[in-house]
Amino acid sequence: MSISTFTGLETALRGLMAHQQALDVTGENVANASTPGYTRETVSLAATPGLRTAPGVLLGTGVTVTGYERVRDTFLDVQLRAQTMLQGAAEATRDGLSQVEGVIAEPSDTGLGSLLDAYWGAWQDVANAPQDPATRQALVEAASSLADGFRGAASQLQTIQSQTAQAAQLTLQQANDDGATLQSLNAAIFDAHAVGETPNDLLDRRDQVLDDLARLGSIAVTDNGDGTLTVTFDGVTLTAGKVGYTLSESGGTISNSKPVPETAAPSATTGKLGALLALRDVTIPSYRASLDAIAAALIQQTNALHAGGVGLDGSTGNPFFAGTDAATIAVAVTPAQVAAAAPPGAPGDNANALALAGVRNLPVASLGNATVGGAYAQLVTTIGTDAQASRRASENAAVLVDSLSNRRDSVSSVSLDEEMTNLVRFQHGYQASARALSAMDDVIELLITRTGRVGL
Amino acid sequence: MDRVTGSMTSRTVLADVERVYGRLAASQEELSSGKRIEKPSDDPFGTSRALLYRSALAANDQFQANAGEAGAWLETTDAALSSLSDDLRRVRELVVQGANGSLSQTDRDAIAAELDQLAESVKSAANARYAGSYVLAGTKTDTAPFAVGGSDAYAGDGGAIAREIGDGVTLTVNVTGDTVVSPILAAIRQAATDLRTGGTPGNLGTVDLRAIDAAADTLAETQATVGAREARVASATARLQQLREAQARQLSETEDADVAQAMVEFSQQSAVYQAALRAGASLIQPTLMDFLSP
Repeated sequence: MSISTFTGLETALRGLMAHQQALDVTGENVANASTPGYTRETVSLAATPGLRTAPGVLLGTGVTVTGYERVRDTFLDVQLRAQTMLQGAAEATRDGLSQVEGVIAEPSDTGLGSLLDAYWGAWQDVANAPQDPATRQALVEAASSLADGFRGAASQLQTIQSQTAQAAQLTLQQANDDGATLQSLNAAIFDAHAVGETPNDLLDRRDQVLDDLARLGSIAVTDNGDGTLTVTFDGVTLTAGKVGYTLSESGGTISNSKPVPETAAPSATTGKLGALLALRDVTIPSYRASLDAIAAALIQQTNALHAGGVGLDGSTGNPFFAGTDAATIAVAVTPAQVAAAAPPGAPGDNANALALAGVRNLPVASLGNATVGGAYAQLVTTIGTDAQASRRASENAAVLVDSLSNRRDSVSSVSLDEEMTNLVRFQHGYQASARALSAMDDVIELLITRTGRVGL
Repeated sequence: MDRVTGSMTSRTVLADVERVYGRLAASQEELSSGKRIEKPSDDPFGTSRALLYRSALAANDQFQANAGEAGAWLETTDAALSSLSDDLRRVRELVVQGANGSLSQTDRDAIAAELDQLAESVKSAANARYAGSYVLAGTKTDTAPFAVGGSDAYAGDGGAIAREIGDGVTLTVNVTGDTVVSPILAAIRQAATDLRTGGTPGNLGTVDLRAIDAAADTLAETQATVGAREARVASATARLQQLREAQARQLSETEDADVAQAMVEFSQQSAVYQAALRAGASLIQPTLMDFLSP
């Protein structure tokens, strides 16, 4: 079987075109070397089918570009996103708890611990000079400072809690925005897929959105085989192919907008949203409850003793503190009403003042038999331990995320040295193909211009 | 072999520089604040211990102040009792003198007049005050226990006044005038009456003298009690002072920076940071481009 005269020209032309495209892709890689989320591409080359020149003999016909491949390891994506989720959770917890630590501000000369000490001391001073109005005035001042300290801490914790609630809503909004983006990217990729195209830029963007979303919560991605993905967020479907759902949150439970909504309750480690919800619903309320219990114990113990004493003005049965918890505690007596004396109430009697100063060492059943100061130290330790754990968790997560990002970059990011090598390789390939073309040209020229001129 | 790309090296260098700088900033903060614990999460259990030591220190300072108050109260009482003791010695001399049968009624009246003066002096001494409080009036500290120039009746009460000089350790600081002063006054008045009536010189040498001696014994016992309490306050103060030193040392060990160690750490971190920066500065390495001919 004979072959066309021009087969060699065609083969060389294919070589030229393939190398031209390979150079173009290299240029694209170099251009996007710093683009976030960009996945390097390689040209897939394949030899074109051969021509049978004789039975059992095939002549190669050159090369063709079968596609531009994104070099990406989806297993690394899954690993990295799981770790990013933990990092998002740890960082949100760390930020929230560091605010709480700012409220507590211990150990210091201005924290609640010091205010408590000053308050006990003021009772002792009253016991030292019960008839002296100045010491009584000083006691009322110290008790007011203590009450202010409790109320300030309670209201700041409440503020942090409501800020955390706002942050959780914003995070949910962000997840919904990401969901909408995923939905439109899915639709665009589906269309491209339907006509057999591989829209690498859209795929990169979709992967980047998924990376962002992974920071907010636990995501699971399923490939639908038509170019689209089904994505669940914290176990609830966010995007199913070209269909999108809106997520909402109530009482720590997330649900989507399906006719029969799917629901899930994220945990403290499932991304930023889960961490914020846990701070809002569990951690900060528990700190507030502890602070309230401490204030309530102080109020009850003090008032019970105080009501049994007699003031300098002869009054008796007065509560020392008004209010029931850290948010409402206030001083309810005037200096003269401070009941330093036991009945009948001699001006020099300090028995009740000593008893009230002794509340400092009184174990309180509602505080697990700790003293007021001991329970406060426990609360500070709990907050400190939680904050320390969240800080360590976020540091560890950062190291792991960096390491996995490096592993992913090792596969997917652009290496300029490599691109330069490819540039040289493809350029040489192009030059050689051009040389082959001119060789063919020479051969054909010889055929056309010299044939039939034998002997001339 | 793994590919290594520019984005990997820059991420690694940046993370390392940030981490090293974080540690450098932490040791710098420790040095500049002098505190090892700035916030609870720096050392949760250290914070808890620091809170307890701080509270114990504040209580200790208060107990020392209370002990000071108790000591001053007892000193005032002691001085008043010494003055009573001096008066009583003079009373005894006068009564012994008055018991002498050879004295004329005029002489006896003169002695009785001096005894009356001494009774007033006793009442005046018994009205001793510390920081505005009558120390011998029980808990009626705003009332003079005895009316100088008036009735001998005790105007105070029998209430005890205590000071807390240690955790749960209370010390009664007051003695009441009715137990110490009233017997003295009664004895003086009886002797004066007996001198004036003149008919019962025998009583002077016997019953009256015994009453005076009994009052003197009570006074001496009370003085001994007050002295013992003063000694207790002094030893409590010394013990509180020792305890305070230990507590302050524990607090400092828990809370304060070990400056020498912090300094060494700071220097180390500083050197590591500079090395990291130097590595970062050479982040932009030549690529193959620099070596390919155009």
